Amino acid sequence: MNTSAWNILLVDDEVEFVSTLAERLELRGINARVAYDGESALKAVAENEPQVMVLDVMMPGIKGLDVLQRVREERPEVRVILLTGQGKTRDGIEGMRYGAFAYMMKPLDLEELIRTLREAMSAHEGTPDA
Amino acid sequence: MPEVAQEARFMGAVTALSMHEMQNILAIIRESAGLMGDILKVNARVDFKHRSNMERTLEHISTHVDRGKGLLEATSRLAHSPDDDLLEGCDLTVYARTVALLSERLVRLKGAAVNLSGPSTALPVAVGALRVLMTGYKAVQWAVGGGVKDGVVGLQIEGGQDFHVLSVRPPQGVSPDLEGVAFLGALLDDGKVEWDGTRLRILLPARRQG
Repeated sequence: MNTSAWNILLVDDEVEFVSTLAERLELRGINARVAYDGESALKAVAENEPQVMVLDVMMPGIKGLDVLQRVREERPEVRVILLTGQGKTRDGIEGMRYGAFAYMMKPLDLEELIRTLREAMSAHEGTPDA
Repeated sequence: MPEVAQEARFMGAVTALSMHEMQNILAIIRESAGLMGDILKVNARVDFKHRSNMERTLEHISTHVDRGKGLLEATSRLAHSPDDDLLEGCDLTVYARTVALLSERLVRLKGAAVNLSGPSTALPVAVGALRVLMTGYKAVQWAVGGGVKDGVVGLQIEGGQDFHVLSVRPPQGVSPDLEGVAFLGALLDDGKVEWDGTRLRILLPARRQG
C-alpha cells in the first residue's frame, strides 16, 4: 500500500506529542495533519477529508467520544482510531460501540500505530462512499 | 453492590487523573526520543564524535519509558478499581497482571522477582477489582515476608468450572507463615484461600457471562 496517498488527521490537546508524532509519520512518507481540540478536528474532517483520524478520548472542550459520534454521523467513511488512558479500557470499549475502528493506549508504539493505520486504510478503501 | 469507602474513591479519582497526566508526559518523551532516533537513522552516514553515546542514551530512554508504561498501566488500574463497574466483578487475567506489575518493586527489594504465567484469555470473576488487587498483593507480600535472598515468586492463573484461581508460590527455600493464610482468606467475602503444601491458592467464584 502506497503510504504517500494517505491522509491522516491526528487529534490531541498535547501539542508536543501530536506534532512530534506527525513529524515521525512524515519521515515515513505518511501525510499527517494535526488538530489540538475537538472543534478544530471536526472542521479539519470537513475541509480536508482525512481517510483516518487518530483521536484522543480525553480533551478539554468537546470530548473525544462526542467527536467520534459526530464524525460517524457526518462522515461514516472516516475510520477513527481512539487513544485511551492506560488501564481504562472502558473508554475504548465504549468507543468501539460508537463505531471506532480500534483503540490504542498512550504512550504509543509507532510500529503498532502504523500497522493499525494500514488496516484502517484498507477498511476505508472498502467502503462504498470512500 | 459492595460498598467502598469514600476515601478509597477519592484517592482513586485523584490518582487516575494524575496517571493520565503521566501518560501524556511519557508519550511526549517517547515521541521526542523516537524522533531523535529517526533523525540519527536518516543521517546514518553522517558520523560525529558522540553518535554512539547518543544512540545508547536513546535506548535507555526507550527502555525506561516501557518500564514507566507498565507501572502506569498498573497504577491506573489500581486507581480505577473502586469504580462502580468494577465493584462486583473483574477479569482475573487483567488484575493478576496488575498484581504482578504493582508488586515487582516490593519483591525486588527482597532480592527476588515475580513471574506470572497462565492463559491470556479473560477469566471473569465475581469479586471486585479492588478486592482482587488487595488480596493478590498481600499474598505476594506474605510470600516474601520471611525474607528472601534470591528466587522467584510464581504467580499463576487457572480457569475452572466454579472457581478461577490465582496461585502464589513462594520462592524456593522460603517457609511461609501458615497463620497468614487465614488472614488472607478473611480479606475475601466471596471465595477462599488455601495452602496446598507448595503454593497459596486464591479461589475466586467464576462469573457467568451473558
